[in-house]
Amino acid sequence: MKKLIVIALLIPLALMLVNCGGGKPKAKMVDIPEWYLNPPMAEDAIYEAGDAAKQSMGLAKEAADARARDAVARTIEVKVSNMLKNFMQESGIGEDAEALEFTSSVSKQVANTVLRGCRITKREMKTEGATYHAYSLAEYNLNSLIQETLNEAKKQKALYNEAKANLSFEDLEKEIEKLEAVGQ
Amino acid sequence: MKTRFFVIVLVSLFICGANSQTFIPEWFEELPDSPAGVFYSVGYSGKYQNQCLAREVAISRALSNMAKQHQVRLIFEIEEYADGRFRLLNPSFDLSYDESVLLNVAANYTPIDSSITNEGYYILIACPSIERRPHIPSNNKTWGEQPKWTKILPNSRRYSYGVGITSNYSFWVRAWKDTDEYARFDLGKNIEIEAESIHAVKRENKFITESKIIRQSYDLTLKQTLIVSRWYDRENDMYYSLCRQARNPAPH
Repeated sequence: MKKLIVIALLIPLALMLVNCGGGKPKAKMVDIPEWYLNPPMAEDAIYEAGDAAKQSMGLAKEAADARARDAVARTIEVKVSNMLKNFMQESGIGEDAEALEFTSSVSKQVANTVLRGCRITKREMKTEGATYHAYSLAEYNLNSLIQETLNEAKKQKALYNEAKANLSFEDLEKEIEKLEAVGQ
Repeated sequence: MKTRFFVIVLVSLFICGANSQTFIPEWFEELPDSPAGVFYSVGYSGKYQNQCLAREVAISRALSNMAKQHQVRLIFEIEEYADGRFRLLNPSFDLSYDESVLLNVAANYTPIDSSITNEGYYILIACPSIERRPHIPSNNKTWGEQPKWTKILPNSRRYSYGVGITSNYSFWVRAWKDTDEYARFDLGKNIEIEAESIHAVKRENKFITESKIIRQSYDLTLKQTLIVSRWYDRENDMYYSLCRQARNPAPH
């Protein structure tokens, strides 16, 4: 009798333990998303994929998202640099040292600051045994990138002009001081 | 004796299964559209012996959900370090809302509909309070097919979206609370995030060591973020929430 009661209590306990221990049948990962292997290409957007395999589903998702966004951020620096070089060539400034310095400064500012509107547009979660494998696809609209670049270029140009104006004013003051010294 | 054995097994199995969520009101799965200037929010609680207490807990959750909906400050940071030998991932989430917003909501709301299922108590509230309650039937149902938004983020000119996903929770109430919050954090990341990283590759003889540091963060105050859809994947025990914010939130 006692044995039966003990067994009766042990059966649900065992079921609970199996449930908590992740012993549920996990679906085998048979296919990697097509968009992960071949991210979409578009003229007006950057697409980058990221993935992560973790024991915790939440961590897998966060890591996959972060890696996809990081790939976007790294692509942006090259894009912005090329975009500015083209712009300078078109406006006839050429690739002199000053222009190159300006390009590099703007591209670094844009790439190291904020990603506005960088969305995870596709996401898939696969299970591999007790591990979760998350795949994320990040999309960044180039219109926001162009706007961001223009804003930064304007800001840099204003700083450059201000520095140049200050320099001329200082030179002028020096010349006046020299004249005053001669007069005395 | 056999009867006693089966009764014990059945009672124990019932206790095990009571923590899962089978039936839900329609408006828990899809938040209905509200009249202009009015916002809806959902509250829920688990199974209580005392229905009044269950209702109280559900209302309290609906009010805090409404306060988060109105205005919430989210601070998110994720760092990943990897140097070829070890990998460290450290995300942090900080969500807060103003107490005065909660007090305003608590003083100015109307319960629209409520529902009791085997698993819990649900309530739908409107804020600011309205004189004429719209007819929104509970229509308890089971979870439907997997919605498209769980895999592909909706694309809209009017709204920004974020998706929250969680799994392996022993109690559905806690699971939905966290899933809703993660959906808000995901929305924040889609709106604006600061991204920095350093990648280095070192070659020594035949070995290549790749090191990287990724750091992404934001500190945003979001207004009018609504949890508009939920879905529970029974097969894989995963919870999904969809959060939506109008691109130009209307003044409240």
